[in-house]
Amino acid sequence: MDLDQHTILVVDDEESIRDMLKMVFVNKKFKVKTAESAEAALELLKDENIYIMFLDLNLPGMNGIELCKKIRKNIPFAMIHAITGYASLFELSDCREAGFDDYFTKPIKLSMLLKTAKDAVEKINRWRKK
Amino acid sequence: MKILLAEDDLISRRILEAILGKWNYDVISVTNGNDAVDKLLEKNAPLLVLLDWVMPDKDGVEVCRIIREKETTSPPYIILLTSKREKKDVAKGLDSGADDYIIKPYDENELRARLNVGCRMIELQNALAEKEKFQGVLEMAGAVCHEINQPLMTITGYSEFLLQGISEDNPQFNALHEIYVQGHRLGNITKQLMEITTYKTKRYLQREIVDIDQASQKKPENQEPNSKE
Repeated sequence: MDLDQHTILVVDDEESIRDMLKMVFVNKKFKVKTAESAEAALELLKDENIYIMFLDLNLPGMNGIELCKKIRKNIPFAMIHAITGYASLFELSDCREAGFDDYFTKPIKLSMLLKTAKDAVEKINRWRKK
Repeated sequence: MKILLAEDDLISRRILEAILGKWNYDVISVTNGNDAVDKLLEKNAPLLVLLDWVMPDKDGVEVCRIIREKETTSPPYIILLTSKREKKDVAKGLDSGADDYIIKPYDENELRARLNVGCRMIELQNALAEKEKFQGVLEMAGAVCHEINQPLMTITGYSEFLLQGISEDNPQFNALHEIYVQGHRLGNITKQLMEITTYKTKRYLQREIVDIDQASQKKPENQEPNSKE
């Protein structure tokens, strides 16, 4: 699996979480870009081809739900995952409507995170071949 | 339902005790204004009050004023029962803080009906208070979950990462494993907080605290997460 051809975007306003997730993904040979806000993420996506994303929902300025809607419009086959510190059923349906592919609550097990990233790579590789 | 009866006349008091008892009220009797105030300031005081106006020490209107001045989340429903029948008396009685006013001699059926109104008001008050408390709990749970899950993510993430790099016979394995396990245990607690659906409390020393297990109607998870999945 050509993991190093895939870049992962991590968007979270908490620096320690961005650093930790970056280290975990880089350790498994992924390329990683991070952003501390939705606005910064959108700027980044203008210049980079990124199809695998992990977005915190509670961001300063524009929130993760709005960010997902915007990304979904521009990059239809992106694999966008929500990670959040507080979850209710109400939020879950908002996420589905916004276009998230999956939804995790903190703290997430790294094994689950890595499996999700690997599955995303497999899907994208498979779709692009079609 | 507990009711405080404040009536200094012996015969009137006995008759009222009998009638109220017949209607299944739990009657607490006093014969003067000072005792009425004392009873109403006790913990778990009656919420329904039948108060004579003319009494020794403090009169009914004075009792109303004193009670209404006290800050409380469960104000009693007070009915003044009196032979004073002028419109200005009625106004004075209600102004002093009474919720209703019955003129003696009273009609038994009317008394029963007006007491029922009092019961309905008290039940409504209690229901509203419960709803407010529950809203407060949900708001706090949300804030706590959000704030705690952030640093928790970093703790469990790094400990899981470190564990994957060492073997079980490494002397540091156990300590690291414990950090990972306890971190996820905290995560299970915040998950329970997110699943609170009712307001339930339990005793903790001298006060009540939210009973997270009962309120979320789930047992806490006791299984240890497997670090080497």
